[in-house]
Amino acid sequence: MTTMTARERVLKLFAGDELDRPPCFSGMGNVTTEGLKALNQKFAATHLDARMMAAAAASTYKLFGFEGAVAPFDLCIEAEALGCEINVYAHSEDLLYPTIKKKLIHNEAEMDIAIPSNVTERGRVPLMVETIQLLKKDIGSEAAVGSYVLGPFTLAGQIMELNDLLKLSFKKPDKIGRLLDQLSDVIIQVAGQYEKAGVDYITVREMGATSDVLSPRVFKSLILPYLKKIFEKIAVPSVLHICGKTNDIVPFMAESGAKAISVDQKNDVAETRKKLGPRALVFGNYDPYNVLVAGTPDLVRQTIRKCMDDGVSAVWPGCDIWPTVPPENFTAMMDEVRKYRR
Amino acid sequence: MVTEEKKKELLAKLRTAVISYDEDTSKEAAQEALDVGMDANDAIFNGLVSGMVEVGKMFEAQEYFVPELLMCADALYAGLDILKPHVKQMDLGVKGSVVIGTVEGDVHDIGKNIVKMMFDVAGFTVYDLGRDVPLDKFVQEQLRTDSDLVCLSAMMTTTMTGMKKVIDDLRAKNPNVKIMIGGAPVSQDVADKYGADGYAKDATNALKDAINMIASLKKMKDEAETRKAK
Repeated sequence: MTTMTARERVLKLFAGDELDRPPCFSGMGNVTTEGLKALNQKFAATHLDARMMAAAAASTYKLFGFEGAVAPFDLCIEAEALGCEINVYAHSEDLLYPTIKKKLIHNEAEMDIAIPSNVTERGRVPLMVETIQLLKKDIGSEAAVGSYVLGPFTLAGQIMELNDLLKLSFKKPDKIGRLLDQLSDVIIQVAGQYEKAGVDYITVREMGATSDVLSPRVFKSLILPYLKKIFEKIAVPSVLHICGKTNDIVPFMAESGAKAISVDQKNDVAETRKKLGPRALVFGNYDPYNVLVAGTPDLVRQTIRKCMDDGVSAVWPGCDIWPTVPPENFTAMMDEVRKYRR
Repeated sequence: MVTEEKKKELLAKLRTAVISYDEDTSKEAAQEALDVGMDANDAIFNGLVSGMVEVGKMFEAQEYFVPELLMCADALYAGLDILKPHVKQMDLGVKGSVVIGTVEGDVHDIGKNIVKMMFDVAGFTVYDLGRDVPLDKFVQEQLRTDSDLVCLSAMMTTTMTGMKKVIDDLRAKNPNVKIMIGGAPVSQDVADKYGADGYAKDATNALKDAINMIASLKKMKDEAETRKAK
């Protein structure tokens, strides 16, 4: 009988060791309303307080045995450090994720930006470092602790108008390339801080570069070089996440230098597995809303089983865990994974 | 009078300008169409829109992606801006007004803007609330403008759930208004569950559905008035 902790299981997975069953964790937001309720915390306040953020991130492990804990929950950390204003929707009782209220670049003429030399001391980067340290202290010996950064293209979409970014990627790829290069340096610095704080793994979320939006050709020529630059500098195990249509770009994703790739429910994982071979780490790919939140426990079990049968290396959501997961669905997922044997 | 041959040539020019995202040619062809006395309506629908329909097909076939789509839309607007003041009457059988926006918490507006473009070309009066729109703003704007249709867009699952609130609120205040929802996470299933009248898979479908919905709404109103008159 093994007495492996969740953390050991995740680390073994990244090390390429054989496991009796895949771990069940995530590299993206994993806060649940059950957790917030237990902690008596408001979602909007949770983004601004290290103690609250760490407690919320740990709660999914504590309540359901989810095998990793990840902070933050929003996608604005790097953009805020670069000088964007964010909106946390403090007035709202609904679950609204922070968004960028004020962009840094409003038109093509403003694209020559200077990166602040102290970028990792700005915005909530220090708060993230503290959150990770608190998380490590709390559950770091039992569960894997992770964090995420944005990919350069997705970050560019946060600091400038998406409309401009997409058109210029086509019309003036050199100009966009220069910006992506600068942003890659920022991402490397932020990821470096998270590593120092003690994360076990880092996910790079580059969902802006999905094939639903950009052609595989542009992904390869314009974005992949900067992803390579970033993954070269991340020392801890790394994951590249792209959602939407990804079957055509999984070979490029694998080429990026990330230790593992993460795909969502639109990816045909059986096909991806064939393409990338048995040793590649492919994480995915259940639908966190339509299955985990809106589905029945039976649907959850079927879906999770199919993910594993298709060959995922870790059972992992296609996006952030949407907080309002019914507890019985979460339990069904964990149970289905635990009883699975390769 | 403009010859059939010249007309054909200009329609092809407009169409190609949109497909090859050529704003200058689109403007040029639109102006030329007016100069030779072509019907603006004809130039819009059989030139510009015909090009956009082809673009839609290319998008579906993954020959074009979002950047190309945006550039084609720019080319369409370049021609449309010149032709629109000269449109005598839109021949769609129905005209209407629409409130459109992306719901609170969601700052994605590309899809919404493409749908808006289709309403613009069809001659609808469009009240565009933009993105990240507080939920009660949709209801206020519908009541203020007495619009026939409200279109809600959400690009993220996280904000899609806000649409249900808007729909319930709109229904309570104005049972006759037609509501259409769209966006990446939205499906027919979600539309049914939330009680929307329509679900727009893409911009062309949004327009077709909208015209049908407004036609049925106008019919309902006429019938009600006829009943009252009796």
